[in-house]
Amino acid sequence: MKDIDVEGEFGFEPAVSATGAADEAGAAPKKVRGPKRRSGLRRRIGATVILFGALASMGGAYAAFAATSGAADTGKSAQNIAAGQELFQVSCVTCHGANLEGVTGQGPSLIGVGGASVYFQVSTGRMPASQQGAYEARKPAKFNEQQTENLAAYVQSVGGGPDIPMGNLRGTDASLGTGGELFRLNCAACHGATGKGAPLSAGKVAPSLNDATDLEIYTAMLSGPENMPVFSDNQITPAEKQSIIAYIQTLKASADPGGSGIGRIGPVSEAIVLWVGGVGALMMAILWIGVRSE
Amino acid sequence: MTVHGTGDEPSAEELRAMTHEEAMIAGSEADGVHIVHRRDRFPIRGTKAEKRAERGVALAFLISALSGLGFIVAFIALPFHWHLPGTPQTFRFYTPALGGLLALMLVFLGVGLVLWAKWLMPEEEAIQDRHDDPSTEEDKLMTEATLVVGLQDTGLPRRSLILRTLGLAGGAMATVPLVALVGGMIKKPGSQLFHTLFRPNSKFPNGIPIVYSDFRRVSPDDLEPGGIATVFPGIREEVNGVNGVTDASSPTLLIRLRPGQKVKPRKGQGGFGWPHTNPEYIAFSKICTHAGCPASLYEQQTGRLLCPCHQSQFQVLEDAKPVFGPATRSLPKLPIDIELGEDGRQYFVATSDFKEAIGPAFWERP
Amino acid sequence: MTSTQARRSDEPRTAQGKAGKFLDERLNMAGPIRKQLNKVFPDHWSFMMGEIALYSFIILLLTGTYLTFFFDPSMAETVYPKNGTYVPMRGVTMSQAYKTTLDISFDVRGGLIIRQIHHWAALIFLAAMLIHMCRVFFTGAFRKPRELNWLIGLSLIALGIIEGFAGYSLPDDLLSGTGLRIADAIMLSIPVIGTWVSFLIFGGPFPGDVIIGRFYIAHVLLIPAILAALIGAHLALVVRQKHTQFPGRGRTEDTVSGERVYPLYAAKAGGFFFIVFGVTAALGGLAQINPVWLFGPYTPSQVSSGSQPDWYMMFLDGSTRLFPSWEIRLFHYTLPPLFWPTVVLPGILFTLAGAYPFIEAKMTKDKAKHHLLQRPRDVPVRTSLGVMALMFYLVLFLSGGNDIIAKAFDISLNAMTWGGRIALLVLPPLGYLVAYRICLGLQRHDREVLEHGVETGIIRVLPTGEFIEVHQPIGPTDEHGHGLLTYAGTPVPKRMNQLGAASPLKHIRGFFYPVKEKPEIQAALDELESAERSPEATSADESTRQLTD
Repeated sequence: MKDIDVEGEFGFEPAVSATGAADEAGAAPKKVRGPKRRSGLRRRIGATVILFGALASMGGAYAAFAATSGAADTGKSAQNIAAGQELFQVSCVTCHGANLEGVTGQGPSLIGVGGASVYFQVSTGRMPASQQGAYEARKPAKFNEQQTENLAAYVQSVGGGPDIPMGNLRGTDASLGTGGELFRLNCAACHGATGKGAPLSAGKVAPSLNDATDLEIYTAMLSGPENMPVFSDNQITPAEKQSIIAYIQTLKASADPGGSGIGRIGPVSEAIVLWVGGVGALMMAILWIGVRSE
Repeated sequence: MTVHGTGDEPSAEELRAMTHEEAMIAGSEADGVHIVHRRDRFPIRGTKAEKRAERGVALAFLISALSGLGFIVAFIALPFHWHLPGTPQTFRFYTPALGGLLALMLVFLGVGLVLWAKWLMPEEEAIQDRHDDPSTEEDKLMTEATLVVGLQDTGLPRRSLILRTLGLAGGAMATVPLVALVGGMIKKPGSQLFHTLFRPNSKFPNGIPIVYSDFRRVSPDDLEPGGIATVFPGIREEVNGVNGVTDASSPTLLIRLRPGQKVKPRKGQGGFGWPHTNPEYIAFSKICTHAGCPASLYEQQTGRLLCPCHQSQFQVLEDAKPVFGPATRSLPKLPIDIELGEDGRQYFVATSDFKEAIGPAFWERP
Repeated sequence: MTSTQARRSDEPRTAQGKAGKFLDERLNMAGPIRKQLNKVFPDHWSFMMGEIALYSFIILLLTGTYLTFFFDPSMAETVYPKNGTYVPMRGVTMSQAYKTTLDISFDVRGGLIIRQIHHWAALIFLAAMLIHMCRVFFTGAFRKPRELNWLIGLSLIALGIIEGFAGYSLPDDLLSGTGLRIADAIMLSIPVIGTWVSFLIFGGPFPGDVIIGRFYIAHVLLIPAILAALIGAHLALVVRQKHTQFPGRGRTEDTVSGERVYPLYAAKAGGFFFIVFGVTAALGGLAQINPVWLFGPYTPSQVSSGSQPDWYMMFLDGSTRLFPSWEIRLFHYTLPPLFWPTVVLPGILFTLAGAYPFIEAKMTKDKAKHHLLQRPRDVPVRTSLGVMALMFYLVLFLSGGNDIIAKAFDISLNAMTWGGRIALLVLPPLGYLVAYRICLGLQRHDREVLEHGVETGIIRVLPTGEFIEVHQPIGPTDEHGHGLLTYAGTPVPKRMNQLGAASPLKHIRGFFYPVKEKPEIQAALDELESAERSPEATSADESTRQLTD
């Protein structure tokens, strides 16, 4: 690997701009909402699953907004903060304390964790937690997008820390090369080169990135949830983070040119296909040839 | 091989008078093969059953031929160029289409051949003599005598001078290619395994700059508590074909501990982190001491560092001591310090190389 | 098959006849050719496993040759072009080897499927060799006079593993590079000469810039040549010694019974080649293998979780994962822990396997030649030893993917490691005991059926009020109603619809259900058999047939 000139990487125009997404990179920052390239059946199915999960847990009252929420503005008005505080006092206070100071044996202090952390934890359904454990798995979100941001605004207003990022979060197609290199250097060790996740020590897990949205990946890098290391903007610049996100989402959305991806987990699934499919078929063949017809 | 004939094989004249089948059986008898059963599958020609069998085999061959044709068409006509998501991912059907059609072509050709044998070719049961008797006593005696006399003719048993010098020549003959082949490939390991590119360099009197993979210098401000970075020696020029970033022995993991986490340093390496007393930043070789994979699955809360290849686990808070799995040695620790850059910011430097050889263990390593 | 001419002249009139004459006048091969065409091969499904290996080797040669037209085994640095087909790699620095692998996958029309067929064929090649070896082991086909062929086969597996690993390393991707780095660590772990071996192979410190080129020439020339020569020797020995066969009617130590090469066996074996090729092609087209573009080019500072070798190396990866952290330090020298599971263990495994035929012959004092196979149940010690070895191998193999298993089933990684360590010590002896008991049980049941007959499912009440099940004797009985047939190493009928297969020299053909002989075959076999049988056996067979008719 050679010196990666970030400026240079971002400087050239992509030869193929299949989606036109590249053009938006320079657009004026605007409030973050759903990923731009919302193509692909898989993403829609994922959204549907999340939607149904939310419906199930929420009784459907405001869940109808969860997957389609495209609210225009969330400048952190006092209104948002107040709404967030209200939610916090209902759903979070038992573990994190009335003043975010944390409750010993229940939950950590949230002072200084920032809105990014809240967004990641709540939008991936990890918070509110179902139980205390070494690892909290992704589950359907309990709050919708607006509520999540209100909560984040409240926590941000109390303790500060890394906030929910603004603006475009996905790099251009031209940044995919850089994104791939950074992904393999910083992320693949735990999440795997294909983003399928891996076990850590004693029951902890680096989760699969299958369902992760742009904003979730970004806030995870910023806040370092659970045992994930923190990757600050000084270390991996926002442009680099965007390129990583672009790489991950492209990887996930791209079809496998060589047939079924068989899980994209490498030689283990290949071994299973070999013994069950390949050797199995050949064994059936030799049994058939070996049997004499009557 | 011995002749398997029964002794009363038919003459050419008799064979000419036979049908082909009779002659074939005579031939197999001559080869020690007794065809104990042989029967047409369809003794009566042209029955419906026979036609059906024939058509079945022909159908298999036909499917094979059509699949082959389909393969050619698919090969030429289908799109196969990779495209970014967002555009129709039609290329995904190319390889499966080729594979499926190729498989049909091959499998049906094979199935047709087997069916042909099973359905249409005469069934038979043949028994062949094994003739696994050891060589005859006569053969053994004559061969032994031939060998003995041959050896005596060379005179080797009594000409010990020739025997010994021939042995020497043979030894040389065997050794020279080995020396010539392997000799050219030998490289002296010397002390190369004991150093990385963090070793002292006269260009950098304050220590080797610590950089990211793009040679950007690493500053303490870059890392948040609980952050890690893969860092390298900032040696840009190539040494033996590698620079600081591409060198296989130099990748290093810089860790910023969380508040409240304290490292129990190993003997004599207490000041290797930064700040030197009560360090918050520490740097370990990223190359696992077990089999050399980059050990970089860091759990920032527990301080455990895993290697993804064989699941060795190191406890960073105990100075990267191995706590689980097959690894036996702590990850070597890089002594770091900071210097003031030209822009007034603080930057990390390595004040010296790792104190131990990095990576997997080897014989000469103490 | 019937002859059209009653009398033939000595001058050929047809084109084929003329061609035959042309060749025979130059090569004098009418006799030898006929002998080969008339060669008899026994037909049992389990004898075709070795054929799979042979055919996949041929597929490997064909597809591998094609790949060499496009692959450049160079570690020279290059940058994936800004207009390269695979957009996510644009601008990434990589080796020429990796780039040309991407080119084969994305820019050569049909290149990807050939690459994938090649890789699948390699996996099948090794799998087929392994199951072929198991068949030979469990049926005792390795016994005198075939010990040499057993050793050749074992060398083929060892070389096949090395050949496969070399090929897997060639694309210079992140996964194979990680494997190569571990291979370097294994070389370094050899006592005294380790560092020298590593520097010799890599031409300096890892990774250097020669290893791909060296592995390439080993992979496409050196090892395939040795493999081809050994396969030739392996087959030549089969031809020379003739194939083994299961005991059965007309099957003695002095004969081989089955079908002649031409045309039946040739048609079936030829057809099977295309079936093997077809299955490989289906895998190559339908299941993506080794997608190196997802892994990225190799860089020493990068790694992906879930890094595994191909299946045939996984048992070594597993042994490495399970081995405890034992390091020996002698004065100023180190004996690394990696040495035991990766160098010593395979050394022991292959030595034991190679020595087994000689050990067994010595232990059983059996110096006779054997051309008839044994049923695994009839040799419980060998069968149990085989099961024990397989259990050992299986635990190591699964441990090679224990991180994937941990993730898939939500098990702690540490628990997987400890589970593997315990299983490695417990399961093999357990497997031995269980296999041994099963063998004895099956043996006993065989004897029981021979003595008392087949269960009919008919229950009778005796006048005494006792319930008994009626057994159908499968042969003649003595005055107490006990069968007189003795066990002859062949399957014993266990169900009523298998009766008729009970003759001591008769084998059951067919796997899912026994194949009944046609009356003609039956008559011919009877005739042949009656010549070599004792009088009481004849009566036994007759009564058997009466039961089935």
